[in-house]
Amino acid sequence: MTIAFGFLAGMMLVSALGVVISRNVVHSALFMSGSFLGVAGFFVMLNAPALAAFQVLIYVGAVTVVILFGIMFTQKPQVRRYRSIINRQFWAGLCVAVGVGAFLSYVLAAEDWSSTAPGNGPREVAQIGRQLLGVAPGSEIFALLFQVVSVLLLVAIVAAIVVSRGKVGTGVDRGVEE
Amino acid sequence: MPQIPSQAQQVLDALLASPALEAYLVVGAIMFAIGAWGALVRRNAVVIFMCVELMINGVNLTLVAFADFLPDAGGLGVSYAVLVLAIAAAEIAVGLAIVLAVFRSRRTVNVDEVTSMRG
Repeated sequence: MTIAFGFLAGMMLVSALGVVISRNVVHSALFMSGSFLGVAGFFVMLNAPALAAFQVLIYVGAVTVVILFGIMFTQKPQVRRYRSIINRQFWAGLCVAVGVGAFLSYVLAAEDWSSTAPGNGPREVAQIGRQLLGVAPGSEIFALLFQVVSVLLLVAIVAAIVVSRGKVGTGVDRGVEE
Repeated sequence: MPQIPSQAQQVLDALLASPALEAYLVVGAIMFAIGAWGALVRRNAVVIFMCVELMINGVNLTLVAFADFLPDAGGLGVSYAVLVLAIAAAEIAVGLAIVLAVFRSRRTVNVDEVTSMRG
């Protein structure tokens, strides 16, 4: 377990650093999918295999592809110099990030979590489903949250179409003829 | 079966033991910090979105670790993580639509050059 933990943590954090310091935007996107795969492995270790499947489908599949589409629409994939991809707050940003990370790590490690033992996660998909729909005892709030998220997804889809569409009446076939 | 020295046995036990809750939490916090660093220093709007996704994933890892390790949590952290996943997908759709709209009108996605709302 420790070996798997070390491997996954190394893969996840190295890929996350690769997203930030890679000079090619496409490489950043691929590093991001590697980092998401590491998180999916952690979900398997934490007794949530169904969530790991969601993670691989949604993040490694869908979000990476959507971001690659965004890259294809907006820029030439080429290696750039660091001066042109990173703004002047490089060291200030690094100090802030290290401070935030050290503070969070210290608080989370110093806190007394009383009795902790692995193995409490909902391993069965049926149990996750009942909790997500608010049927299981103690999870009634999810009956509301699930519907709120459903409405939010609908609004987001409509908003994405409205925002990314050009002005009405311009262009022959919008998206192709600019 | 050959006799294993006690030091080697201890090392083997440590390697086979399950990691503590704090290990997962610290990895999630470091991932959050890396994402925050990237969102602060990069100029490309698409890369900033990727870094925000990294931060969301760090928090998701923390939620699932709590759901697995705390007996009183009832495993509800996994359900919250599913909701976070859905909201992150909605955010990336709207965000990339905004990036495309900005690119269409300004021909750039560099956030330092999109300053028309600056007072």
